[in-house]
Amino acid sequence: MKSSNKRSHKAQKVLERFEKKLNRQIVGSLVACVHCGNCTSACHYVLANPGDPTYAPAYKADRIRRIFKRHFDWTGRVFPWWVHAKSIYTDQDLDDLKDIAFGKCTNCRRCSINCPMGVDFATFNRMARGLLVSVGVMPEGVAVVSKDQWEIGNQMGVLKEDHVETLEWLAEELEMEMNDPRATIPIDRPDCEVVYSINPREVKYDPRTISDAAKIFYATGESWTMPSEDWDMTNFGLFSGDDELGGAVARRLYEKVSELRGKKLVISECGHGYRSTRCEGPNWAGMDITDFEMESSVITMTRYIKEGRIKVDKSRNAQPVTFHDSCNNARSCGLFEEPRELLNLVCEDFREQYPNRAENYCCTGGGGAMSMSEYTPQRLKSAKIKADQLKATGAETVVTSCHNCVDGLSDLIKHYKLGMQVTQLVNLVANALVIEPRPEVPVEVAPPVAEPAELAGSKILVVDDEPDFLLFVSTVLEDNGATVLQASNGDEALKLAKAEKPDLITLDISMPGKSGIEVFEELRNTPETASIAVCIITGKPEMRQLIYNRPVPPPEGYLNKPVDEEAIMLNIRKTLKLISKE
Amino acid sequence: MSDLLHFSEHTLQEIALGVMTVVYITRIIWLMRFKTGKERQPATGLRGTTMRNGVLYSWGNIAMPWAMESTRTKMFIYGQFVIFHLGVTVAIGLSFIIPYAPGLLESALLVRILQVIIGAACVMGVIRIIRRVSDLYMRAISSPDDYFALILLTVWFFFATLAVPNSTAGGEGILLTYFMLTAFFLIYVPFSKISHYLYYPFTRYYFGKTMGHRGTYPMKRVPEPRR
Ligand code: SF4
Ligand code: SF4
Repeated sequence: MKSSNKRSHKAQKVLERFEKKLNRQIVGSLVACVHCGNCTSACHYVLANPGDPTYAPAYKADRIRRIFKRHFDWTGRVFPWWVHAKSIYTDQDLDDLKDIAFGKCTNCRRCSINCPMGVDFATFNRMARGLLVSVGVMPEGVAVVSKDQWEIGNQMGVLKEDHVETLEWLAEELEMEMNDPRATIPIDRPDCEVVYSINPREVKYDPRTISDAAKIFYATGESWTMPSEDWDMTNFGLFSGDDELGGAVARRLYEKVSELRGKKLVISECGHGYRSTRCEGPNWAGMDITDFEMESSVITMTRYIKEGRIKVDKSRNAQPVTFHDSCNNARSCGLFEEPRELLNLVCEDFREQYPNRAENYCCTGGGGAMSMSEYTPQRLKSAKIKADQLKATGAETVVTSCHNCVDGLSDLIKHYKLGMQVTQLVNLVANALVIEPRPEVPVEVAPPVAEPAELAGSKILVVDDEPDFLLFVSTVLEDNGATVLQASNGDEALKLAKAEKPDLITLDISMPGKSGIEVFEELRNTPETASIAVCIITGKPEMRQLIYNRPVPPPEGYLNKPVDEEAIMLNIRKTLKLISKE
Repeated sequence: MSDLLHFSEHTLQEIALGVMTVVYITRIIWLMRFKTGKERQPATGLRGTTMRNGVLYSWGNIAMPWAMESTRTKMFIYGQFVIFHLGVTVAIGLSFIIPYAPGLLESALLVRILQVIIGAACVMGVIRIIRRVSDLYMRAISSPDDYFALILLTVWFFFATLAVPNSTAGGEGILLTYFMLTAFFLIYVPFSKISHYLYYPFTRYYFGKTMGHRGTYPMKRVPEPRR
């Protein structure tokens, strides 16, 4: 590779590393495009932005291809203008490439399956991301999340103590609900049939998916465990194109399962997690996994029902539901019949959306897009296609087997005012679960004492500009024993927070005057209020920048509007429990 | 037959074919120098979605317009593709028939059939040029090579259609132009996007292998029921 003194240091490094990233499949995809345009209408970005050809997959691919042509293709080297070959020179060139590789493509692979030539754009777009990341050119959220996954071991920076404490708290809640000391979440138990791995989003913001899974394992009597460390089955290496990160994250999890001598690694519902752990991980890590199996929890739950290990009553899920296929699950891992089989076992009214399975449209939150808040407006605009698809089903609930899709769909449902709920299969299975009473374990019965209300002694500040919502949350909290303070705008909230030092603040994002984001940052940056726990309750996607970009330590909890009493209480209890342990 | 026409039909074609073969072999060696990624993941997907079936399905895609949404929903464009490529095959075949088996062209029926196929391909070429120039999306992805290759082939089809009868009655101009264009085409191909057919078996092989192993190929589709 020739160097040029006109070239910036970063551009030079990208070019030097380009060649090392090439393999036969990628080179094939780089040379074989005939510019037939067949893939154009396969991309949701194109469909949602009519008249803008810069979203066309071949156009985007050519921004990468032209570098290849300039340096590796005969004609491109001699007559670059003839084949539109062009090198990169400046940091601005790299920034422009970043906006395409990260901002205009979710790597959903829908164009790839529509290319008659077999050009797999998504794969070399990932390569381009990896090259940019190697010189530090990437969206802020990608940098933050990757750093946490390298350093802390999971992409949301959940510390081991917080993880274990959350699991212990969930186990206590489960034991109480089941009224059985055997209902628990075993941590680091060796020689189990199942080692259950999760997405950090579950432990941080969606603990119900863990307790629902625990309930299912309890009902089957499964021998299972969750690791206290190296439990993250998600892998930002898939999104950032950093194979080293991909390999390191996958290796940690595989080694943990081996260390625990688990027989099967069950991967909770997450599209990119499943693809990274089950499919790409062994390649990135350079490991042949032979001492345990890996499967999606969707397959595990279906097997439990089919083997009669759990009983379900589908009439408990009577509302009409549709299923959204995650691109990583369906298009890149062939996991699309299994969730439908399970849905039909636990739901009464399942409605397909079209197209579906491997041809489904991306939720628009894929490829790490949820962590790239700078591209949120174009993400939501491109979500129009998915929104129309969902609306056409007439379903009230959309089910998906992916945490990214849950967030992507939640954002677009709010943006396009579809009024639908998003849920996962684990929630539906747990809801339909018929738990037979187990033979009692003799326990010493303490004399009954009057239980204090759950939130007794807690002071909570509720901040929201919608009077109805303010009243609703306040009533729920007061009914459960909390002392509630109310604020309907940001300034009032900051004043009350400083004066009253509540244990927790529930904070809306979209308010007139100071926005919730500004309030949150000010709370975190003010020494007297920095340590107050905050649970964001919002319908706005902007809050994702607090979770992924993390200009200040992220909120302890977040909930998507609309919320119900159960969700509020679960999150508030979890947050307060963790603070009290601290 | 003039010496020039004889040279064009024989020596020139042989040189052009020789150059093309050498360049093609070099290209294949170049492509094979890149390593293939090793696949360590245990297979996923439904029964029947294997590497082998994925590759076969992937190669067969070209003849299954219903398999891909992009062809299924644009049958006119798929039809253009079929006729255009059939025209290329026949027009190349013609460059062998004229010098080595001219007797075949004594059949008026065969002459007519070949002319209809190549002529139709020429019309498709014109339609494709119009689309490439007039469609905003096509313009955005087109390079000079894309335009030139398409115009070259369309003009070549035109002369091939006229050359089919292998007649010098009105002069040798048509045949000479056809053979010279054929020679130019053969030499130009490896340096242009027209060489895609060289890569096609490889790209579809690797894509099919991956998607078969990962349970996506052969693709299962559940279309919307008709109301
Ligand atoms: S991978 Fe998906 S988002 Fe990216 S260009 Fe292709 S269809 Fe569009
Ligand atoms: S369908 Fe394939 S060959 Fe045609 S423009 Fe798209 S990537 Fe290129």
